[in-house]
Amino acid sequence: MSVPVIEISDLSKFYGKARGIEHVNLEIGEGEIFGFIGPNGAGKSTTIRILLNLIFPSGGSARIMGMDVIRETKKIKQVVGYVPSDASAYDSMDVHEFLSYCLRFYPVQSGTDRLEELSALFELDLKRKIAELSMGNRKKVSIVQSLLHNPKLLILDEPTTGLDPLMQAKFFQLLRSENQKGMTIFFSSHILNEVQLFCKRVAIIKEGKIIQLEDIETLRKKQLKKVYIEFGDSMNNEIFSIPGLEKIITRIGNRVSFMYSGDMNELVGLLSGREIVNLTIEEPSLEEIFMHYYK
Amino acid sequence: MNRNLFSKEMRRNALSLMLWMITITLLISVTMSVYRTFVENQSKVLGMISLVPKGALEFKGISNLNDLLSVLGFYAANNTIYMMVLGSIFAIVLSSNILLKEEYHKTAEYLLTRPLTRSEIFFSKLAVFFLHVFLLNLVTALAGFICMKLVQKEPINVNAFLILSLYTLLLNILFGAIGLFLSTLVKRPKPITTFGIGLVLIFYFIYTLSKITESVSDIGYLSPFKYVNVDVINPAYRLDFWHLLYFTGISLLLIRFSYRLYNRKDIYT
Repeated sequence: MSVPVIEISDLSKFYGKARGIEHVNLEIGEGEIFGFIGPNGAGKSTTIRILLNLIFPSGGSARIMGMDVIRETKKIKQVVGYVPSDASAYDSMDVHEFLSYCLRFYPVQSGTDRLEELSALFELDLKRKIAELSMGNRKKVSIVQSLLHNPKLLILDEPTTGLDPLMQAKFFQLLRSENQKGMTIFFSSHILNEVQLFCKRVAIIKEGKIIQLEDIETLRKKQLKKVYIEFGDSMNNEIFSIPGLEKIITRIGNRVSFMYSGDMNELVGLLSGREIVNLTIEEPSLEEIFMHYYK
Repeated sequence: MNRNLFSKEMRRNALSLMLWMITITLLISVTMSVYRTFVENQSKVLGMISLVPKGALEFKGISNLNDLLSVLGFYAANNTIYMMVLGSIFAIVLSSNILLKEEYHKTAEYLLTRPLTRSEIFFSKLAVFFLHVFLLNLVTALAGFICMKLVQKEPINVNAFLILSLYTLLLNILFGAIGLFLSTLVKRPKPITTFGIGLVLIFYFIYTLSKITESVSDIGYLSPFKYVNVDVINPAYRLDFWHLLYFTGISLLLIRFSYRLYNRKDIYT
């Protein structure tokens, strides 16, 4: 059995008394595109920062490709690329100078070709000073620097912030192509649509704890349905006491929509004696699932 | 040590180093340019200086007014302040920022995700600090020596001059070590430049106060300036072993603590 690319065991981090993350367990296999979702302050960046040895855990351990993130951080960083959520490059450098500086830390042969290829793809002006770049262009520089050394694992923390839709499309296309060549991708975001479209498996983190770890498809199909009913006659309260009713989304006149995780036969049985004008049962969007977990 | 990081840091701080070199050299040159006028009008000037309290003169390393007639005595009395105070400010500003600026400039996430250990980062930056402080001291001392040679044809006591320069270098390094140590204690990524400059000035003030106010002379022992001997004209002038131990011991200890703290520090941006 191959060694997991990322293996997090019982990982915790406290800032004094404040919680960062608590008893996080994760295992990510080779070649996965893994989504890590949660709102700001949930613990996404804390987890990433521990993986990159920027901060030290209060408990537990983490390994990347079998190597301990504290003791073997140098070896790990030979094979990891990272796009931070909000990082400024050295303002006094121009783009080419900065990327060349990043590249010189790695013993790669074809680095200069790669630099030019990626810069062309993202339409970067290599002669521009970093200080003069817009947020979007800085993000492009950040993406390029993360891929220069052909990493085996790419860690992305809110990578699309500031990128226009065209660049986002190019970015995802590039990531898919790199993934097909074997790159594992750890994608942290609070933008659910991009996680939904791009990732195969996802972990939802809430208040420092992993509350759900599933395949995107399983998560979608897992019981939770969005139900919309329009009654022909008056609506009575019987419908609201059915087991599995998770959350009423809207209730206007004879129309009601809600999230339902109970037995579908029971719901249909309950409705069988009623006059129904319209009934829709659909898969909720990932955003709705996410909000459900965060309710 | 990492060569790529070292050369980038050298370039990054080069302009600041040049400006400090030029400023201190200019100040020394201006001061030394009045030496001849001073000697030519010695009776008038010394008469005026004799009105200055003894403690204030001792504070400048003048135990005998005639010391000022020697070019080295004049240099030590009038220029040491630039090299000691300004050099120490340069050292503490550089050292307190050299690691910390990666955090408050939000570049730490790029640097610390390269294949480098914290030790390599620490020692690469430490080497840059040492080289910058050494170069500043070397250039300003050379400028001082050339100025002395230009205004005085008589031989200069090179040995005393070198000891004085070494004292200045050791003092600058000590303040640099203090700055480095403080920067590793800082939890939040904010610059501590003002605090560092304030610290040098406070220590200098304590030293000054201890020299000119006899009743509080003992507080001078708290200040590193106390352990710099500027009495270059004294025939017994030498590098005191205990002073040397004080500077090197405290500097090494602070650097050692800084290294340990940095290796375990949570880095935020």
